[in-house]
Amino acid sequence: MTPLLWRALLRHPLRHPWQLGLTVLGIALGVAVVLAVDLANTSARRGFELAMNRITGHATHRILGGPQGVAETVYAQLRVEHGIRPAAPVVTGYLPRADQPGQLLQILGVDPFAEAPFRDLAADLTGNDFDLRALLLNPDAALLPEALGAEVVLKRGGQRLTLHRAGTLRGAAFEGLIIADIATAQTLLGRSGRLDHIDLILPQGPAGERLATELRAWLPLDLRLERPAERNQATADLSAAFSLNLTAMSLLALVVGMFLIYNAMTFSVVQRRALLGLLRALGVSRRELFAGVLGEALLLGLVGTLLGGVLGVWLGSGLVHLVTRSINDLYFTLSVRELTIEPWSLAKGAALGLLATLAAAWLPAREAADAPPGAVLSRAHLETRWRAALPRLMLAGLGLLAGGGLTLAVSRSLTASFAGLFLLILGCALLTPPTMVGLVRLNRPLTARLGLLARMANRDVARHLSRTGIAVAALMVAFSTTVGVGVMVDSFRGGVAIWIDDLLNADLYVASPSVEDGGNRSDVLVPAALAVLRDTPGVAAISTYRALKIELERRPITLIAAELAPASQTGYHLIAGDADTAWRLFQTGEAVLISEPLAYRRQLSAGDRITLSTEQGLHPFAIAGVFLDYGSEHGRILLHRSGYERYWHDPTVGSAAIFAAAGTDLTALRTRLRERLGPIQRLLIRSNRDIQGITMDIFDHTFTITNVLRLLAILVAVVGVLSALLALQLERAREFAVLRATGMTAREIGGLVSLQTGFMGAAAGLLALPTGLLLAAVLIFVINRRAFGWSLPFQVDPLLLLETLALAIGAALLAGLYPIWRMARARPVDALRAE
Amino acid sequence: MTSADAFIAIRNVAKHYAEGDLQRAIFADLTLDIPRGQFVALLGPSGSGKSTLLNLLGGIDLPDAGQIRIDDRLLTDLSETERTRFRRRHIGFVFQFFNLIPTLTAWENLLLPLELNGLASPDRRDRAMELLDKVGLGNRRHSFPERLSGGEQQRLAIVRALVHDPLLLLADEPTGNLDAATGERILDLLLTLHQHAATTIVMVTHSREVAARADRILVLDGGHIREAR
Repeated sequence: MTPLLWRALLRHPLRHPWQLGLTVLGIALGVAVVLAVDLANTSARRGFELAMNRITGHATHRILGGPQGVAETVYAQLRVEHGIRPAAPVVTGYLPRADQPGQLLQILGVDPFAEAPFRDLAADLTGNDFDLRALLLNPDAALLPEALGAEVVLKRGGQRLTLHRAGTLRGAAFEGLIIADIATAQTLLGRSGRLDHIDLILPQGPAGERLATELRAWLPLDLRLERPAERNQATADLSAAFSLNLTAMSLLALVVGMFLIYNAMTFSVVQRRALLGLLRALGVSRRELFAGVLGEALLLGLVGTLLGGVLGVWLGSGLVHLVTRSINDLYFTLSVRELTIEPWSLAKGAALGLLATLAAAWLPAREAADAPPGAVLSRAHLETRWRAALPRLMLAGLGLLAGGGLTLAVSRSLTASFAGLFLLILGCALLTPPTMVGLVRLNRPLTARLGLLARMANRDVARHLSRTGIAVAALMVAFSTTVGVGVMVDSFRGGVAIWIDDLLNADLYVASPSVEDGGNRSDVLVPAALAVLRDTPGVAAISTYRALKIELERRPITLIAAELAPASQTGYHLIAGDADTAWRLFQTGEAVLISEPLAYRRQLSAGDRITLSTEQGLHPFAIAGVFLDYGSEHGRILLHRSGYERYWHDPTVGSAAIFAAAGTDLTALRTRLRERLGPIQRLLIRSNRDIQGITMDIFDHTFTITNVLRLLAILVAVVGVLSALLALQLERAREFAVLRATGMTAREIGGLVSLQTGFMGAAAGLLALPTGLLLAAVLIFVINRRAFGWSLPFQVDPLLLLETLALAIGAALLAGLYPIWRMARARPVDALRAE
Repeated sequence: MTSADAFIAIRNVAKHYAEGDLQRAIFADLTLDIPRGQFVALLGPSGSGKSTLLNLLGGIDLPDAGQIRIDDRLLTDLSETERTRFRRRHIGFVFQFFNLIPTLTAWENLLLPLELNGLASPDRRDRAMELLDKVGLGNRRHSFPERLSGGEQQRLAIVRALVHDPLLLLADEPTGNLDAATGERILDLLLTLHQHAATTIVMVTHSREVAARADRILVLDGGHIREAR
């Protein structure tokens, strides 16, 4: 490749700044979305690791308990009776700031005298404001990060708790962390006499293994010894499916971007067929042309990727809050304050942008290299070749659809499912040009009635299939992803709304105000408060609940110990097991009902057994039935209170559902309960509508990021419509000039352009609907099922489909405006001469 | 007319084009020799295969049967890449519609064949500049083709075709898109450069007047070639 040859090729895009700008923008948006999601995921992971590492420190092992944690006495026994040192007690949890309820601060309660071997806190306590005496003796003293100032007010339930600084934690590693003496932390988090875990440093090698075995033998049945690293990994893995889903969605934006790059590059090759043929006539080899076009694409990819990098970082800083919020709502407490920009993420984004551009430009570059010399490749010849290729295109499309279907049917892996989904999209894209020919034929009777202009517009679409086919396929893919994701979210929302409406069929719900604090913890109802609930006039029945996180093969699941009023039972929709038998077995406290995601993940059904770690050690429970549940993707287990008390020795109740007697005024009942409960315990009394609203808010939070990604895909699609159709119409300047020369007015040609772009937009929008519905079906029935174990209804909002169609046509008409304006200003004679 | 030492030797060449399901023969059995340094004008009605013959001589297209030998190289036996390299080094093209590279300036258009052949030495550049001055385009060297008149574009196309000293210049109606006076001046230029460099020229034309200035006139009609002078 000589410098002049580079110049000859590269000046073409520079002479078409609109086309160039929109192509670069398409690449940039694709890269930005992928990079932003990756940065947000990475930041969330880093935030999690940071939180875990500052708690784990140098501990090699950890003693953990069940839902109640570890009794303080175990720590004393370990040190005194067994002489195990180093050992350090830890209490940890999250509380919101009173003045900024959305900001959770991590509380780490430690014994300062046992800490030295575990965490390097002393080394970080620089400055002369560290007051050990205050830390140990003042119940409101803590080590605070520099950013929090001299004091911080936290919120727990309805209480405000003020902590004063006894020392300053400096450095990024301590952001959002408060370190307190263990007693202070226990008071703050409401865990008197309990520890979250005990950290140990056991020797390496056989001696350590021996000690670990001895400890396991000594530990009470409800406690276990684990390695923190394995545990942290297991916790981090919880959100893996969520992260994979986000990554796949971001890749979808990149795929849309790739189609647009392909379209832009093909178009720029077709536009230059005469130039390329001429260069071949002058002795430029195929390889040189191939390298030239690919090099040009690489340059565009480089500029687009750089721009996408900047956009991606900006977008990522917005997405990180959405990702963190979703992880908080769905998985574990996480507090991420800033975007972590890892070079690896940037490198991945750059590589993906460049590779996507090269992959998308590969075929157009081949097309350029195959151009016969001497400009003999006429447009008619090109179109003839395209038409001849239609049956092969159709076969390839059907083949890809079959391949995609097969991949989805054969493999259960989530990655393979996404691969199948991408094959389906590609298959539909290949079927677009043949389908368009059919649409043009179908359109003939209509256009015949509308006059010559309409006939010309319709025929032109089929006549220029080499360009219109690719453009419409690219746009169809872009819009179908928005339909697919939109229908999936709507269906999910519809499913959750019905589920929550059925489940929350009581009139009022009572719980500690701490349920609103975040951080996955809540206080219990005192027995006197429960007695009030049962005895208050107007209360017909109550159901009680105690929800706790327990572990099943290292994954946290929610155990709900419940005593259900008959009306509450009807709220559970059983999808496996006979309802009468299931509820009868449930009442015994020896059988459980499990949620659908748990049943799907572990391949369990009614009649199987599930072994849970209880305070009395491992105990197998019969599975009486499986209930529909969108409450947790990791699973929930419903156990009768009698069984819970028997195996967990815990009589406490976390919340209660109240069924009012017929004819009772609910507002009056609520007031009456509030008055009676006031002197006993401060409790939240909410109606089922309140909780349904909160649940749907959480759902909408969770899907905010999905909707943001969907909007971005729409943006990429609109950019695609503009770039594809703009280029298509601008290239026809001479054709328009001929039409003007033969007596057509600028207005008539404007009408022709609008009809044609409108038709293409409509074709892309119309074809996007069935493809989008196919994508939605795969997302709902395959991807969501495999990722989360949920079975969702398939609900289509006709408004969404109409919106998509309107958007496609609107964007297409918008794309026609500039060519119309330019054509109206141009002198036909110039255009005729330019050719 | 054939001879063993001809610069261009075309032997029993056949070329067909598909028209729907039918194969239309352009030539069935064409044989022709052209000696080195000759200026040949090729006449014939539209569709007689003049441009096809030019494309075959330039190695742009291949015959369905027969052989084409240029300067002792059997073009029909060369691979696509070898034909491209041969064309790049030894052949110059002039087209009716000028076919300059729109994205290169006049000077860059002229330099392109030199760069492609690795011949862009300072001496060659000086000679290229002289050529540009000679055809009156020295002061337009930074202009892009669209800024040049038809005559200027064709003058540039001719010097571009000759700048790398090709053995053979193929011209497809070089004056067909120009007015009579400009066409005359272009022809003068072509003849001057031809006499100076002794390059073999095959020129397709519709004009008897233009053809009259060539050393030899051939008429292609009905798939056969005949000498008109």
